Amino acid sequence: MRFLIVDDSSTMRRIIINTLHKVGYRDCTEASNGREALDRLAASGADMIITDWNMPEMSGLDFIRAVRANAATRDLPVLMVTTNAAKDDIVAAMRAGINGYVVKPFTPETIKEKVEGMIAQHAGRAAPRPV
Amino acid sequence: MTGMTDDLLASLIAATQEVFEKMVSSRLVSKTPIVGEALRPSSNVVATAAFTGDRCGVVAFYSTTQTARDIAGTMLGIPPEDVNGEMPDAIGEITNMITGAFRMRLAARGHKCAISVPSVTIGSDFYVKYVSDVRRTLCPFAMDDRQEIFVELILTEDGQPPASADSR
Repeated sequence: MRFLIVDDSSTMRRIIINTLHKVGYRDCTEASNGREALDRLAASGADMIITDWNMPEMSGLDFIRAVRANAATRDLPVLMVTTNAAKDDIVAAMRAGINGYVVKPFTPETIKEKVEGMIAQHAGRAAPRPV
Repeated sequence: MTGMTDDLLASLIAATQEVFEKMVSSRLVSKTPIVGEALRPSSNVVATAAFTGDRCGVVAFYSTTQTARDIAGTMLGIPPEDVNGEMPDAIGEITNMITGAFRMRLAARGHKCAISVPSVTIGSDFYVKYVSDVRRTLCPFAMDDRQEIFVELILTEDGQPPASADSR
């Protein structure tokens, strides 16, 4: 399972990667914004994306829209990890095409449960298209 | 303090404790808040994030450099002595999460706000002065019975985002 972790905070990328390592997922690539993440996807692909929302250059929302618009990546499961917790934010993220949502701050268990749930769900069906 | 400010302070204290419990595995003990300009902590690390909307102001985080390194080390899963360039990013992220969790609590009370990206200042012999008319309340916390951190709520009186100037 190859993960692409997208966050402008190197600390947050490290926390997420440490959590994934602890539960046995060791293949993680990092990007610090949406544009860099699209380059990483084009170069080496991924099986799951974990992305922040507020980032310079290209936001998480614009990044997800670009992922869903590309035939090669549109079915990838996407988990958003962000401080944006308002109902309107979650609706906007769902419309852009996310599969899961975690609000910062979070415990490692929350990330673990969400990732494992999404993997199980994705094994059964393709990711939703943007609404 | 007004009832409104008390509510906001309680929200900020709860937000700070939640962030430290989940991200730093530390239980913060809140001490009596200090109102006004009289006393500021002598800190080497100060991080701020502004919020604007129905309520406007700034959340500021203060700690010593050593405490900031300890916090960063715990977040990153490395010994504090191995923390170098990562500390400002870690403290910025802590401040971002505190302000985000505070914003979420404000939203639950019907106050919609947006928050800025955090900024982190590291050094000595400086303090942050707000040139706007603001009300400042400093919340001290004991961290693991050994160290102390401070989180300050700076509210503008006129409802506008505060302007600041770093001063010596």
